[in-house]
Amino acid sequence: MRRFLFLRGAEALALALLAALPLAVHTPYALGLLTLLPIYGVLLIGLDVSVGYLGLINLGQVGFLGLGAYTAALLAIRLGWGLLASLAAASGAGLALGCLLALPALRLQGPPFALATLSFSALAATALNELEGLTGGARGLSFTHPACLGAALEPRAFFWLCLAVLALVWTAMRNLLAGHPGRAFEALRDSPIATDAMGVGSYRHKVAGFALGSALGSLAGGLYAFQFQHLQPQVFTHEFMAVLLLGVILGGRRSLWGALAGATVVVLLPNLLSVRPVFSVLAGAGLLASLVAGVRRLRRRTVDPFRALAPICATALLAAGALLARRTEDWRLAVFALILFAVVVGLPDGLMGFAARSLGGMLRVPPPPLPAPASLEQALPLRLPAPGAVLEVEELRRHFGGVKAVDGITFAIQDGAIHGLIGPNGSGKSTLVNVVSGLYPPSSGRVRLRGARANLPGLVAAARAGIARTFQNLELFGGLSVLDNVMVGLNSGFRQPLALTVAGLGEPGERRAQADALALLAFVGLEGQARERARDLPSGAQRFLELARALARRPSLLILDEPAAGLALPDVRRLIGMIRTIHQRGITVLLIEHHMDVVTELCHRVTVLDGGRLLAEGPPEAVKRDPRVLEAYLGLPGEPGNGEGTP
Amino acid sequence: MDILSFGQLVVSGAFMGLVYALIAYGFQLTYATSRTTNFGQGELVTASALVALSITHLGLPYGLMLPCGLGFGALAGLAMERTAVRIALQEKSEGWIMLTIIVGLFIHSTCENIWGQADRPFPTPIPSEAFQVLGIAITPLELSVALGALGVMGLIELFKRRTLLGKAVQAVAADPEAAGLMGISARRAVMLSYALSGMVAALAGILVAPITTVGPPMASGLVLKAFSVAVVAGLDSGFGAILVGMFLGGLENLTSFLVGSGWRETPGLALLILTLAVRPNGLFGRAAIRKV
Amino acid sequence: MTPRTPILQVADLHGGYATAEVLGGVSLEVAKGTVVALLGANGAGKTTAMRLLSGLLRPARGTILLEGRPIQGLEAARIAALGLAHAPEGRRVFGPLTVEDNLLLGGYTRLPGIRGYREAAAADLEAAYHRFPRLRDRRWQLAGTLSGGEQQMLAIARALMARPRLLLLDEPSMGLAPVIVQEVYRALVQLRQEGTTLLLVEQFARTALEVADYAYVLERGRIAVHGTPAELERDPRVVQSYLG
Repeated sequence: MRRFLFLRGAEALALALLAALPLAVHTPYALGLLTLLPIYGVLLIGLDVSVGYLGLINLGQVGFLGLGAYTAALLAIRLGWGLLASLAAASGAGLALGCLLALPALRLQGPPFALATLSFSALAATALNELEGLTGGARGLSFTHPACLGAALEPRAFFWLCLAVLALVWTAMRNLLAGHPGRAFEALRDSPIATDAMGVGSYRHKVAGFALGSALGSLAGGLYAFQFQHLQPQVFTHEFMAVLLLGVILGGRRSLWGALAGATVVVLLPNLLSVRPVFSVLAGAGLLASLVAGVRRLRRRTVDPFRALAPICATALLAAGALLARRTEDWRLAVFALILFAVVVGLPDGLMGFAARSLGGMLRVPPPPLPAPASLEQALPLRLPAPGAVLEVEELRRHFGGVKAVDGITFAIQDGAIHGLIGPNGSGKSTLVNVVSGLYPPSSGRVRLRGARANLPGLVAAARAGIARTFQNLELFGGLSVLDNVMVGLNSGFRQPLALTVAGLGEPGERRAQADALALLAFVGLEGQARERARDLPSGAQRFLELARALARRPSLLILDEPAAGLALPDVRRLIGMIRTIHQRGITVLLIEHHMDVVTELCHRVTVLDGGRLLAEGPPEAVKRDPRVLEAYLGLPGEPGNGEGTP
Repeated sequence: MDILSFGQLVVSGAFMGLVYALIAYGFQLTYATSRTTNFGQGELVTASALVALSITHLGLPYGLMLPCGLGFGALAGLAMERTAVRIALQEKSEGWIMLTIIVGLFIHSTCENIWGQADRPFPTPIPSEAFQVLGIAITPLELSVALGALGVMGLIELFKRRTLLGKAVQAVAADPEAAGLMGISARRAVMLSYALSGMVAALAGILVAPITTVGPPMASGLVLKAFSVAVVAGLDSGFGAILVGMFLGGLENLTSFLVGSGWRETPGLALLILTLAVRPNGLFGRAAIRKV
Repeated sequence: MTPRTPILQVADLHGGYATAEVLGGVSLEVAKGTVVALLGANGAGKTTAMRLLSGLLRPARGTILLEGRPIQGLEAARIAALGLAHAPEGRRVFGPLTVEDNLLLGGYTRLPGIRGYREAAAADLEAAYHRFPRLRDRRWQLAGTLSGGEQQMLAIARALMARPRLLLLDEPSMGLAPVIVQEVYRALVQLRQEGTTLLLVEQFARTALEVADYAYVLERGRIAVHGTPAELERDPRVVQSYLG
């Protein structure tokens, strides 16, 4: 399960406990450590947005930490700004820089992205080091933290301030992730193509998520600066970055509690390492845990043997090091590396994931009940088709290398019709549909949707212009619930101000959306499975889910790409009924199918493709009898061999 | 600044840039077959150079040290593939990014503890007096870097294009499933590419060590620049890396001289981010088509 | 009629993907020197069957014997080395390599890896170019720039370079203009006359039946009917399958 619902009470309890701790702690050193906890908490929550929710390897967070720290410090020192103003400015700087970095970096996935963030950190470190006039360079910067709203803060009060910041950030993030931004993040991990096709710009959301994480990193940086009251560029190195990644991954990705757990580990780590007996015990415990888990996995054969054995080797090395190394601090990086390796391979969901799996049964709270479904009329308002074509395709060509997948096709779809598109495998149907829905640009020719400009640039633009589609190879958001899949489609329909969502006031809007989504699910017969995970549904149900999700867009043109593929006969009949109803609501349908009975029953007009070209077009009965069509589908009479076979 | 000094800075920088190109070539080798790049490559460069250093301290002549160092690099590359890459490839995930970083960290720490944190000089039989070409000083060391880098890249390209095995590796890069149908094991091709990539990293370390000295700090500086070169040229581009590498090397020298030595790294990093903004697939790279 | 030894024996084959089982118990046989067609509507499971045979997919259950030797569960590269060549659906030629390189790679399991492979392959290359003269004209061109029909010919010729015991051909006519399909099928007829053992998957039943000695019709993952072409052409159910 994506979300592990603790009692809301648990959060309040933890907050109260943490707030009370300074009263029990007496040394400044211990208070300093305690203060680091909320600071790293905010930092890791920010890192978790990109590493956990967006699934990216973000090596730049330490750069934002440093920049935030220096920004806040310099504003306080040079311009005399107060505490809160400096912090706000630091967060703003992080947000802006995060956007600036994300815009180019997020156009590609994986390694180039990690590289760009790594370069950013290196650039930041260089700038901080070289701009000596501003930052004091390698010598560092010393200062005292400014007053907060006019009052000087003594250490305990500063701790409570940090804790307050953590609580605010926590609440805001929790509300954000429970609403449509959270859904969008999960959706774009499962299928960026479908996310775009639903009009939710996956790129935009990635940039926003990354910038948010950077802003939090810089906010943490400001707090960090005011806590230590001394800054040096050398601190913000890639070793620190490794520690941060360790915190997020060990704590557990995609989890606020995981970020807090990770922050605790990060704060205590240096102390754990330097006290040899403690370290040895922990290493031994780790080895034991890996052995137990590893043996169990090997016997059950649930995973690749590497995942069972590698953590054992890593923790064994760690234990050996704990006993044999002369000075464990020298091997700090190696220790982090070994722990990280064991966790990434053996415990990829981190401590929180493990807790969720083992304790989940005991602590799961049932989610609030769903509202009653709205009526279909409300979810899918009646649309009045206007005379004329809703889609016009002119001399469309699309090739890949030397292969002409679509080779000069011209046709039009009348508004309000059900239009069929058939042809043998490889005739260009899918390519045509992919060009029309915006996945690829045409190599030449035009695609014009009524009311929009020709050749819309991309999936999101096409979706916004009123096209919705299903996919031949399902593109569901597997990790989201059935209900959430449809809710993603509704996303653009409910433009709720972000501030409302963040403040936790998004409930009414959310419930209205749920009611509409349930109406659509009821239409396809899935409302009973609203809370099930999409990837757990049988494949027939998954096809219906894709249909419901597409309908959530309230499109003017609905493209169905082989919706009956793999459906059993009774489901095919239900599908036919649904398409009829959709037609009655005034939505134009473009139906690609191989099941001729579906095509014959439903379509007003059929276009036949063969070898990338238009072969025939007309009402289904006429097309079925057309000799050229029969030839294309049945094969050739005559050559080769001696078959005379008249169709 | 006169034209001669300008030329000197550019030429010396370009030679150094060939080292970046060589390491970048290592990235391209693994990317071609498996769409992965070794984020711990810098550590492989350093570790191989340090191992080679120790071998010379044991008394072995340069001529024997070289193949041993290269052999170590190849083995390290294979080890990297086995521990950090294979599991991610099997599961079709991107976990190799984190894992290669992690293994790199481990190697870094181990090198620091065995050889210490300071840079050390690297002995070489190649004379270090410069000779003049058109008024610009070039040292035999720099020349050896150029010959070594270009030579190895040329040899590997020859292998790729002229032997059936090399063509098989190209086939795996183009379409691993179809290659499997021809009897070509994609897994072996990936292993080979990592071994070659490790060997190339070792060569880069051994070539550049006499010039820059050897030590753990070597790694991060080099690899980031090499990565910039690889991404700017395009991860699937081949010889473009040589041009970009030389350009970057020259630019770095100029920056260091004109602006300040601390800013040396900046052009490479800025170039990387800029290229990603404008041409995400690199200057010489090819875009991929999504199939739905 | 002399009994022919089976090159391929498939018994109760089950297989598919994580979300669904596509083949639910398929049994068939391919005798040496014959052409067997596997027919069926789109989505019936033909391509999945091919992928199971050549090792791209692991079967859930069932056995596959190649010349009496079990190959189910083996890796694709291993099965290729044992003599099964697969020209996959969609051609899958190596785009960035030349036509000649593609052909040479087809013989990978037979040819030396470093030196001397061109000489060893010379005779087979000549035969391939003789069979498909268009490829000779384009031998130094990059395979990705060839037309669909030329790529199909290349895929077949490439598979033949391995001198396979059994050749699997998956939808050779897919996406090709009728004239080109004729050319491809002329080549298949030639192959049949030379005694090549061929398992042919086709969506164009009529065309396939003209070349085949025997045929199986796949419907929703099971063999619905099988027989000689003459038998099948008389069966109304077969005709029914192709329009629906």
